[in-house]
This record gives sequence, C-alpha cells and structure tokens, in this order.
Amino acid sequence: MSELPKALESFNPVEPSPRTELQRRRDRWFRGLCLAIACSSVAILGLLLISIAYQGATSINSTFLSGSHDPENPEQAGMYPSIIGSLLLCLLCGAVSLPIGVAAAVYLEEFQPKNRWLRQLHGLVQLNISNLAGVPSVVYGLLGLTMFVYMFQLFGKLEKNQVSGIDFWGVQRYYQFVAADDLTVIMVPLTDRTKSTLEIQEACPAYDTDFNPIELVVWDSRTPAPSDPEVLSRTVRQGEVGAAVEIYNWYYFRVPFGPSLLAAALTLSLVILPIIVIASQEALRAVPNSLREASAGMGATRWQTVQQVTLPSALPGVLTGAILAMGRAIGEAAPIFVVLGGNIARRTGPEHLMDSCVTMPILIFAWADNPVEQYRQLAAAAIIVLVALLLVMNSVAIYLRGRT
Amino acid sequence: MTEPQSTAPNSSSPAMAPRILIEGFNAWYGEFHALHNIEARIAANQVTALIGPSGCGKSTLLKWLNRMNDLVPSAKAKGTLRIGDLDILAPNTDVVALRRVVGMVFQKPNPFPKSIYDNVAFGPRLHLKVSQYDLDELVEWSLRKAALWDEVKDRLRKPALSLSGGQQQRLCIARTIAIGPEVLLMDEPCSALDPASTAKIEDLIFELRANYTIVIVTHNMQQAARCSDSTLFFFQGKVVESGPTQDLFTRPKQKQTEDYVTGKYG
Repeated sequence: MSELPKALESFNPVEPSPRTELQRRRDRWFRGLCLAIACSSVAILGLLLISIAYQGATSINSTFLSGSHDPENPEQAGMYPSIIGSLLLCLLCGAVSLPIGVAAAVYLEEFQPKNRWLRQLHGLVQLNISNLAGVPSVVYGLLGLTMFVYMFQLFGKLEKNQVSGIDFWGVQRYYQFVAADDLTVIMVPLTDRTKSTLEIQEACPAYDTDFNPIELVVWDSRTPAPSDPEVLSRTVRQGEVGAAVEIYNWYYFRVPFGPSLLAAALTLSLVILPIIVIASQEALRAVPNSLREASAGMGATRWQTVQQVTLPSALPGVLTGAILAMGRAIGEAAPIFVVLGGNIARRTGPEHLMDSCVTMPILIFAWADNPVEQYRQLAAAAIIVLVALLLVMNSVAIYLRGRT
Repeated sequence: MTEPQSTAPNSSSPAMAPRILIEGFNAWYGEFHALHNIEARIAANQVTALIGPSGCGKSTLLKWLNRMNDLVPSAKAKGTLRIGDLDILAPNTDVVALRRVVGMVFQKPNPFPKSIYDNVAFGPRLHLKVSQYDLDELVEWSLRKAALWDEVKDRLRKPALSLSGGQQQRLCIARTIAIGPEVLLMDEPCSALDPASTAKIEDLIFELRANYTIVIVTHNMQQAARCSDSTLFFFQGKVVESGPTQDLFTRPKQKQTEDYVTGKYG
C-alpha cells in the first residue's frame, strides 16, 4: 500500500467521524433556515394580499368598476376613469419607450464602435444608463414637469383657465349659439382665441353640430320671426351672446404639453427607459455569437443581421423586459403626481393627448388619505384591481419568456 | 505524380491558375503576430486542408479569406490575399460581395432558429430578388446538393433546430451554397459530430469539390488524408510544409510534419 499523507490517514469512509456528523447537522440547519426565510417572505406578501382582500373585496362591484369618484357618496364612487387612464398611459408610454429603448440596446450591443472616441462615448452612455435605472422616480417627475409640462416656458407661461401655447392640430374652436327655435345649436368658428364670448351682429359663416355649413340668418327681434321652422333653425337673434367651446380630436397636439396624458406618458417613458434598455441588452447578449457569425458569413450587413437574426431571437427577452417595465410604469405614483397633480375628480378617461387623466395609484393615494372610513375600503378595492392587472401583465411576461 | 483517389475531372491540372493566391501574408491580433509571411496557392476545384496544432493560425487564415476577422476589433493583416482578380484585403472591397463568393461553414452547426426552408432561403432573400417559385427551386437544389433533401423534404417548415447535429451541419452547407459561392471555407466542420455524420459530411465535401474550391481546417489527420487533395501544415504561425496530401502524409519532407501527421504530438 502506498504511503498516504498524514492528513488523510484517519479518513475512514465506512465509519463516520463525529466531525462529519456535526457537518451533516449544520447542513440540515442551514437548509431549514433558508426554507424559513423563503417562507416568511412569501408569508408577508400573502398577509398583505389577504388583509387588502379582506378590506376591499366587498367593495368591488359593477358600480365600482364603472363609476367615477364621488366626493359626497362613497357608495356610488368608482374607479373607471382611472382604469382607462392607467391603461392608456401605459400603452402610450410603451409605444414611446419600447422603440427607443430597443434601438439604444441594439446600438450598445450590436454596433460597438471601433473608433477610440466613439468607444469612450459608448462606455459613457452605458454607464449612464446603468446609473439612470437607479434614479428615484420623483426626480424624473420634476424633469418631466419642466421639460414636457412647461417646456422651459419657451412657449409662454402655462396658467390655469387661460388660453396659451401653440396649437398644431386636432382642435376646433367655436362659439355656440342657440337658434331662434330654442332647440338647435349653431356653431360659429372662433377666430380670436382670447375672446371667450361673441355677440352676433351680422351673418357670418356657421355650422350645425355635425359641422355641415349652414346659411346663417340674423334676426332683428323688432321684426316678426321667420315662420318656416327650417329657416328658424338657422336663425340667431341679433345681439345674442355665444360662449366659446373647444372640440378636440384624440390626436390634439399643442406645445407646451401642460399637465396632460402625453406629458405623463413621456415622463414615465423616462422612468422605464433604462429598465427596457438593460433588459434588451441582456436579451441581445444571450443570443449566441455563432448566429451573428453565420449571418455575417452569408454576406448580411450588420443591420440585416440585427433585423433578421439577432432581434427575432432576442424578442421574447425584450418583450419580457418591456412588460415588466410597463408593470412598473402602471404602479408609479410619484412622477404622475408631480406632472398631473392629485386631482381625481374626473368622470371619464382622458379623451385626447392633451387631456388630463386620473391613474390608479393617484386614486388609491387620494382615497387612502381620506378621513372617511369607506373611502379607505375603496382604496383597498382599487389596490386589488391594480394588483390583478399587474398579475395579468406579469403572466404575459412569463408566458413570453417560456417561448424562448 | 500519381493522383491516387481523385475521380473529379479537374482536380489536378497543374497548369490551372490558382483560385486563391496568398503572398507575404501576415496577421495580428493586437500585438500577437498570428501568421508570418504565408505563401500559398490554392487550386480551383480542389479540397485544400489546413492542418496543425491548436493556435497555429490556420483558423485565422480561414477567417481572413472572407474577412470574418472584421468582426474582431483587434485583428489586423498585411500582405496579399486574392481570389481570382478580387483583392480580399483592399479597403474598398465590398465585404458583402466577398462573402457571397466565399461562403463559410463553422465548427459548430449554427442554423438560425427558423424553419429549415427559411434557413436555406436566408441568403437568397438577402441578395437576390427571386419569385417564390424560383426560391422553392433554389432551396430544393441547395438541399439536394447538401445531401439533405430526402431527409427533410416533408418537413421544410419545421424548425431547423429539430434536426440532428449532422443534419444541421449539412443544412448550414446548403444555406451557404444557396447564394452561389465559388469558394467554401470550412472551419473544423465535423469536430462536433459523431462518426456517422462525419462520414456523410466528408462524402459531401468530396462531391462538392466538382463545383467549388474548398478550404477546410481540420484537427483530424485521417479526415485530411481522406478528403483533401492538397494540405498545408501550419506550425506556430508559419507554413512548414505544403503539397499534395498523399505526398505530405506518406513522404513528409520536414521532421515537424512527420511528427505531427504520425501523431507524435498535437
């Protein structure tokens, strides 16, 4: 038998020493400890969900899902505008941040420059994106406020109940009159935005409520009224005062954006952009290099390789990251609060890009802060809806990941 | 000089101009001088094997032949590399056009995660404007050439990754010849395959020689002996010996070559 080093002499695999017995026990303890810690984290989450369900489940009914906030009567209050608001916000936010985020990730991963200066720039961008992912979202809120809501006040000051900014498209402004038959509404195009009323003196171009041009008749009330009801329906008394109305298309666009859906969506895009970039980079990095080589070897340009090989392979990962980021966006309260304010008294979801909007986290915050006990129950109910929505989004993410 | 195994019509006409001309070729990775003054002539419609121990530079030479080394930031090269009249290293050479002429098959089968059909159609769709009918014909022709058609003709729409390793490698060959190259570069195409698949690929290489100029890197001496017409033996970035495979394996002029081909090291 060959001579063993002294340290190995006492080793006997058949008869365990007290030392190995102790090691085994430690192993069991450690396993138990890990299990307990894992269970406790799940238990805390479970407890939270149960307590919220206990408080809120009874409040969830069709009135709650279809109604809007009612400051007087919590029985009639609902969260419909905030559901629509949050979903639209999230959708718009994704539509903005996904292309930009994926493009940035493709540049950082697939088009690494050879030039020394560009490499430095590349490294700087990479470092910045990693850092930006950790910036508190309220900071993005302030950025959004100056950049999107006020636009550095480059286009005039934005004040409440005042016409300001520059319109681009999607808005028609009219003065509304009631015709002499006291039924029909007549619209006269508004030419001077600063005047909120118009006193009619003579015939001018006018439209009915379907925007068909009509021939306006101005009736001096000292003479007898026209007898024909058709003529009467397009007749306005001289001196009648009409009020300005604004009719918006969903794509209404103006600068500055003001406290609007678009400003909030762009602000949230800033919040989730680093997350999308980093997730997309991970997904692109996971694509085996052999596929890029194969594609290049077939004479594909870099863009063709990205477009036809790399991106399709990375797509499930990219989408998973995107959906997780959207989940973050839908739950953000702080930046929305800074950009849109805490007003929850809206009866509808946002109707155009420049419309204000209520989101679920803001509504939950406002309700939970309400001294009336019933509103706090409503907050719990709204949390259930929000969590359910998040669960759906995360399930989609898991499904997409499973298809990789 | 006798031509032992070859049946292909023009495998050994010495009068023929070399298809690939390598003169005074040096290559570096950063500071590392990977290839020193390589001189070689690679004949058309022949299989040329590049052999040598790991790190001797044979793969580097292969990757320069279709400028795959452009993807490596630190790679540099000097000297002459020509395919016919095309100067490979000239900065104004269109790499995309070059790679259409010089196709490459890699060590590990690397089909795209697409269907079998789409894998073969990938190149043609990039480079050619063809009708669906012509594309179908081209895909069938390529798969037949790569001796894969009979095995996959009923499942062209199935994912390429469902094929076995050997089938995947033949699919990669089909994909490469579908864009009509003149030269095929093969970087240890059988090293990840079992012996049966290897035999099929070797048969295929032997047949493809009639239409293509093939350069193959291999670690397998028997493979080089079986399927190549001439051989270049590399050692530490230099060509130690080159010549017809038969001569190099049976009557090596250099001691180093003899040691390597007889398996004393490497």
